[in-house]
Amino acid sequence: MEHNHNGHASPLILSARDVEVRFNLRGRTLTAVRGASLDLYEGETLAIVGESGCGKSVFTKSFIGMLDKNGAVTGGKILYRGEDLTAYKTEAEWLRVRGKKIAMVFQDPMTSLNPVRTIGEQITEVITWHFGTEHEEAKREAIEILKRVGIADAQTRYKQYPNEFSGGMRQRVVIATAIACRPEILICDEPTTALDVTVQAQILRLIKDLQKELKMTVVYITHDLGVVANVADWVGVMYAGQIIEYGTVHEIFKEPVHPYTRALLQSLPQLGVRGHALYSIQGTPPSLFKEIRGDAFAPRNPDAMEIEFEQEPPQFEVSPTHWAKTWLLHPYAQDHRRALEEAEAQRRAERAEPTQPFVYETAEKLLEVKGLTVKFKLGGREFRAVNDVSFDIYKGETLSLVGESGSGKTTIGRAVMRVYNSNVSGEILYQGQPIVGKISKDKMKALRMEMQMIFQDPMASLNERAKVDYIISEGLYNYHLFENEADRLRKVEEIMQEVGLSKDFSSRFPHEFSGGQRQRIGIARSLVMNPNFIVADEPISALDVSIRAQVINLLNKLKRERGLTYLFIAHDLSVVRFISDRIAVINKGRIVELATCDELFDRPLHPYTRALLSAVPYPDPDRERDKELLVYDPAMHNYRDNPPQWTEIVPGHFILANQEELDIYRKELEG
Amino acid sequence: MENAKTPNPILDPLKFRAAVFDNIGSEDAGFSNYSYWRSTLRTFFRNKMVLLLVALVLALIVMSLVYPLVSDVDPNKVSLMPLEWNLRPSAEHWFGTDALGRDIWTRAWYGVRNSFALAFCIALSDVGIGMIAGALWGYNKKLDPFMIELYNIMTNIPSTVYLVLLAYIMNTSYLTLFISMASRGWIVEARFFRNRILSLRDNEYNIASKCLGTPVWRIATRNIIPHIISLIIMEAALCIPYSIGSEVFMGFVGVGMPVEAITLGNIVNQGRASFTLHPYQMLLPTIILCIITVAFYVIGNKFADASDPRNHV
Repeated sequence: MEHNHNGHASPLILSARDVEVRFNLRGRTLTAVRGASLDLYEGETLAIVGESGCGKSVFTKSFIGMLDKNGAVTGGKILYRGEDLTAYKTEAEWLRVRGKKIAMVFQDPMTSLNPVRTIGEQITEVITWHFGTEHEEAKREAIEILKRVGIADAQTRYKQYPNEFSGGMRQRVVIATAIACRPEILICDEPTTALDVTVQAQILRLIKDLQKELKMTVVYITHDLGVVANVADWVGVMYAGQIIEYGTVHEIFKEPVHPYTRALLQSLPQLGVRGHALYSIQGTPPSLFKEIRGDAFAPRNPDAMEIEFEQEPPQFEVSPTHWAKTWLLHPYAQDHRRALEEAEAQRRAERAEPTQPFVYETAEKLLEVKGLTVKFKLGGREFRAVNDVSFDIYKGETLSLVGESGSGKTTIGRAVMRVYNSNVSGEILYQGQPIVGKISKDKMKALRMEMQMIFQDPMASLNERAKVDYIISEGLYNYHLFENEADRLRKVEEIMQEVGLSKDFSSRFPHEFSGGQRQRIGIARSLVMNPNFIVADEPISALDVSIRAQVINLLNKLKRERGLTYLFIAHDLSVVRFISDRIAVINKGRIVELATCDELFDRPLHPYTRALLSAVPYPDPDRERDKELLVYDPAMHNYRDNPPQWTEIVPGHFILANQEELDIYRKELEG
Repeated sequence: MENAKTPNPILDPLKFRAAVFDNIGSEDAGFSNYSYWRSTLRTFFRNKMVLLLVALVLALIVMSLVYPLVSDVDPNKVSLMPLEWNLRPSAEHWFGTDALGRDIWTRAWYGVRNSFALAFCIALSDVGIGMIAGALWGYNKKLDPFMIELYNIMTNIPSTVYLVLLAYIMNTSYLTLFISMASRGWIVEARFFRNRILSLRDNEYNIASKCLGTPVWRIATRNIIPHIISLIIMEAALCIPYSIGSEVFMGFVGVGMPVEAITLGNIVNQGRASFTLHPYQMLLPTIILCIITVAFYVIGNKFADASDPRNHV
């Protein structure tokens, strides 16, 4: 080995060389990993970034022999401290490594925990299983570990079942079981994707602390570049089963060279300028059933060179710590590179002019929500999912509703869409007309054509057993909005073109499309009614990073061309900043703060808003490294004696606070 | 990296110029040609035993339909000569004759036909009524307390008592048997479908339909039924052996079909009566009964497994 270990401070611990993993799926072969190489060094943190289906999970699962039954490593070597793991055949061999030396934390904590056994037993079992420790001794150790991962009152918690824990606490328990054997390598597969941002920040911090204490090597697998910027020393970018670029976190974020990495970073809404189209990556990731020729990203790269379609690029070294697999780095490509740089500079220059903010003084109110309360019955007890919420939406604006899971944001959207019947109280006015409670059939029809909804999960929101043609025409059929069959087909074709889908797709079923395409079908389905107002319920949170920009651009384009008004529901403040005019922050069924986008980011007042803003991961390593995490504790409010009021503290800036707090906030605004 | 692969020495510099971007080509990649029904059937028939059982059941059904048409032997022909009673299997009577000299081979096929017809009717009505009731139940919260009580009452009375009682009150006939079984079977199916529909009802794609103003009947026919059609098939398949079993049981208790009706239940019972002296009389009907019961159970369960997309590997 070389002296400086290629810029790494510590010795090599695991080295994967040209790993190839294949699956047999319904009679066909899927090459999930196509010769990926990776080095892990002691005590360092590596993040593997990539879209869903690019093979990042499979690649790391092959390190511990946890591939599904129909898959196998068919090529390459995985050397762990000099021993080739691919030669392992039996479970017994794997058990020497799996869990003991290399442990894994998965995305959904509930799938890793046994629901019918106490969490204490589960951790104790791991310890006794691997070390043969006596039960009492192991129990003591388990309690120590529970304390270590930040679980208060570990003695009592030891005897509890997983369902008695919250999502974040469960993930802590999973981490506890993973570190129980003091592994040398901890692989975290999307450890925080299922969690809220505030909890996510805490879990990431916990893993960091544990890493330092136990001197572990940590591998993160994630699609969230904000998380990467926060945690990683090194980054490997994965695309279509290969690591295509590898370098330090600063090199990847500041000087990316592979076209895919560059495109990925440019398409992030967090880094976009409002009012301008985001840079978006065309198309969808390639199918790994097919044989891929040349550079897998070439078909989606508008600036690709001819050679990229023909030959697979080798690894080119950018710096001793940074390499990439792209022909752009070949000496022959110099001219092409220069042309690209010039075009890029020109684009930047064009982008400089500022945009007009939304004018509220002259705007008319489209939707008014007053004292909206939605109640649900859960196990015989009634609870308020939405509690006395009031806001207005002006014609032509985008109002974003931001909150964590369970905050009631989706419920508000659905209440506006009249999905619920009797459990909604309060007033909702659309263009001055009340729309809560019983309304006539004609009015209902008019309303359905005025207001439409876009859904979160493109996988769940399309009827799997209907063709795209029927899905898009559903609204047309319901109100018979076409003259004859030819007219209907023409309307479907027009709308498909508008959302950027080929009209040949109309005879296909939804499962034949990728997530981004499905989301566009969903948008077409609601647009065909020609609505003026759209409730967009987390339309991008289930999409891959490279696809998000496409959908955001489409929504913005439609807003411009059709004069649409959006109620945009989201959980990620940083994404929302790019698209919204105003933002409402909701917590536990109540809106706590509402202000224009810039006002909210520049002068957040409510402690919950501040906690949320501090927890949101931002895709910039410099900014992420020295950020301060704020924690919101509802107990800080003295609301029993002095109930909060929904107050306009300065024009356009609303906040939920009592008199005492208002005085403090006012002082802050002045100072 | 220390081992960057050596670039191919013969590279054409001309290849390093911009290529034409193909917009359509970039879109067409994530496409999978997975088809639910194709995968379900493939998974289903991949099992060799399933293939065998399906062939066996089909053969039984075809035989029972065709045999009465082509054969000229009267299954009810009673012989007055005691010499022709209780004959052992021979070339003329393949499975012998029963206590009245009737040909068991012939009777068995008539019996299979009649029993199957009855079972199909019961399965159809159970699953059909059950599905409609289940859909109403699932979509209407107000029906819940009433239907749950009804379900509890109907399922808590032992089925044997109920069947025997009904058959006893009315005269024994195909219709009686049908009513006594069909009047009870639907509620179990209704509850099954209600649970399925409840889990489908609040899916996002159904809420989307609601937002588009789709009427309930179209949500049912386009959004719900296509998703549970495989369950319907499975439930119907499992209903058939249960109905045939019940019919045999009723015959055994003595409240089954009138003696002159040729059903599997009657044949098995008559065979049982003379079992100690002439055991071969029970052989054929019992074998057929076993095949039907086992085959349908296995087919129904395997189909349920195959229709689960998680098993489509």
